[in-house]
Amino acid sequence: MASQNQDPTAVNPACGDPGISAFPDGDNLFRWIGTIQGGQGTVYEGLKYKMVFEFPSGYPYQAPTVKFDSPCYHPNVDSHGNICLDILKEKWSALYDVRTVLLSVQSLLGEPNIDSPLNTHAAGLWQNQTLYKKHLLEKYEKDVRSKQST
Amino acid sequence: MQFVTCYVFYSFIFCYFFTGEEKSPLCEGCTIDIDDCTCQDIIDTFHSVNRQLDEMGILERLSGAAVTSIVHNQIQRYINTTCKGNFETSYIDHLEKWLDTKVLGWLNSIYAGEKNQCSISAFRGRLLHFLFETYAHARIEQLFAIVIDYPESEPAILDLKTCLEKTNLRALLMTSLRKELEDRLLHPGVNTTDILLAYISAIRSLRVLDPAGVILEIVSEPVRKYLRSREDTVRCIVLCLTEEGSNELLDELIKGQPLILEDDTCSDQEEGDWETWMPDPVDADPSSTSKSRRGSDIISMLVNIYGSKELFVNEYRTLLTDRILSQFNCDMERELRYLEMLKLRFGESQLHYCEVMLKDIADSKRINSRIVQEMDNAGQKMDIDINALILSAQFWPSFREEKITLPTEMQKSLEEYTKKFEALKGNRTLNWKPHLGMMKIEVEHKGTMLNFSVSPVHAAIIMKFQTQSRWDVEELSGVLQMSVSALRRKITYWQSQGLLKEEVPDTFVLVDEVKGQGHEVVMAEDESESAMTSAYQQREEELQVFWTYIVAMLTNLESLPLDRIHTMLRMFAVQGPSSSGEVSQQELKGFLDRQIKDQKLVYVSGVYRLPK
Repeated sequence: MASQNQDPTAVNPACGDPGISAFPDGDNLFRWIGTIQGGQGTVYEGLKYKMVFEFPSGYPYQAPTVKFDSPCYHPNVDSHGNICLDILKEKWSALYDVRTVLLSVQSLLGEPNIDSPLNTHAAGLWQNQTLYKKHLLEKYEKDVRSKQST
Repeated sequence: MQFVTCYVFYSFIFCYFFTGEEKSPLCEGCTIDIDDCTCQDIIDTFHSVNRQLDEMGILERLSGAAVTSIVHNQIQRYINTTCKGNFETSYIDHLEKWLDTKVLGWLNSIYAGEKNQCSISAFRGRLLHFLFETYAHARIEQLFAIVIDYPESEPAILDLKTCLEKTNLRALLMTSLRKELEDRLLHPGVNTTDILLAYISAIRSLRVLDPAGVILEIVSEPVRKYLRSREDTVRCIVLCLTEEGSNELLDELIKGQPLILEDDTCSDQEEGDWETWMPDPVDADPSSTSKSRRGSDIISMLVNIYGSKELFVNEYRTLLTDRILSQFNCDMERELRYLEMLKLRFGESQLHYCEVMLKDIADSKRINSRIVQEMDNAGQKMDIDINALILSAQFWPSFREEKITLPTEMQKSLEEYTKKFEALKGNRTLNWKPHLGMMKIEVEHKGTMLNFSVSPVHAAIIMKFQTQSRWDVEELSGVLQMSVSALRRKITYWQSQGLLKEEVPDTFVLVDEVKGQGHEVVMAEDESESAMTSAYQQREEELQVFWTYIVAMLTNLESLPLDRIHTMLRMFAVQGPSSSGEVSQQELKGFLDRQIKDQKLVYVSGVYRLPK
């Protein structure tokens, strides 16, 4: 595995990337857990999502499997947490690492691609930001917060 | 009953036999006045009794046990009285001669019969063995003192070596010396230097005793372990290495062999002559090669206490920095010589930093004179002459930080100097560390002139009193932008010099009458402050690196127990480029507890988590 993959400083919260971090899940270096906070000024501001990275043995020549662990209401995220993001699919490059992926997902939250939605309900609602935010917060309360408290 | 009679009978004769030569008014043998001594009669009776017993064939059976035990007792007594406490002479030959003349002479007189001759010579062998054994016991008992006295005690060591070859006391020697070392050295009351000196003489003396180095390895194992646990060991060793004057370590250093580390793999082929090759003793640790035991010298042994050169090199760097920055006029030639010698030992690359440091000092001198010359040519003059030490930031240890705003006069000169430097060196600049400097100042007060060499901070304080003779501590600390407590510490110096006094609490005024003399007072190195950050602070900084890892860990994995954090750090953080060595679980716990105190961390039911 590439050494950058082993080096969590790449996603160090102290290194000037606010709102994202990741760390290997226990002793298994092939499975990482990441945390993303919604970007400032977007509807996702103040919300926190957990993600799971799974690295194939061909990493970094093959893209890692990246999914949302917490339910995420978003035009490009389906109900199982799968993400539709080009750099995780056909546009993957060996130069990307955990940090760049997290940053991409973070910016995807604020700037969804409405043209190829996985969640059509969310894509439809996106135009009306006030309504979207209200619905998003309701969802977040129900799916994420309630889970955290249990 | 029979044994006791025999014993008394023979031992009486023995006494006579051994002390007969001495003069005294009373005969030693029969304790009757010398003139009517009955010794000769007794001797005659003695011989005739022996002869008759021998003729009857029961001499050996009757007296054997008694004779043997007398001889043993005498040998023990003789060794104890002659050899004890004196390690500077070899006794083996002397003892052997004594055995042959005195003891065997006595035996011959008892067993005078011809047929006993061969049994006596067999007896001699046994007695000789006993002699060696007793002697070795006596020496082993005092081995600690012998080891400490080395090299004066070398004869005793050589004697012991001979004895060990003939007897089976190796194991005893090792356990007893090991215990002795533990009892006498390895407790908090002993100075590290003393332990080191003892260890060094143990290395040297046991080398003689056992060239294979096995005894040394086993005996000194607890010492090494203990030294490793002492904080100042490395510092002591490095100090010994570089100290002025003659000492053993320095001599070793001058020999200048490259360092042999334990983990250096040596080839299996012994380079020595196969005819003289000796296998390692049975008690040797089979996992280490015999060559590493035989070959390494004292410095290697000391470095091997820790097993890494870096530690020593770092310590040397720290000491060097201290010497340069606290004395300002260090003997460059001497330092360079040491550095060259250390390079032979520790390798060129390890000491690269120190080399740069010394080069910095040399360069500073050149740059200084260059700048001063330029100023002269331009007809300029700085308000304050500045002599800068220009240190390359990357290569020096981190310095102690202290905040202060210097008076404008000083600041101006520094800025001028910086400008000149920038002109000279293009795209480089200076970052001043005023608290590490030294100033020569003249204080004129009520007509008396006083000279001082003080740190710029001290100078800044007294300069403030030029314009205003009364300062409130709070006020002054505001002007100088340093903390009140630090300021108070510095003011103490001027108080002790009799220039300032604390009239009302927290208010200092200039003293009117100066009783001081006009000569130069060199500032006592205050609180022996080191120029560098303390080891504790450095460690704290290193732990701070871990903190970012811990935060990343806990953000993503929610909550973790201590041992999980510890193993994760070891997996991910310790091997990183900023590796600061191992962190022990206790240390980590202490660190985490401090974070809890700062409310950066929460500890609930056995796991740590970040506060929400």
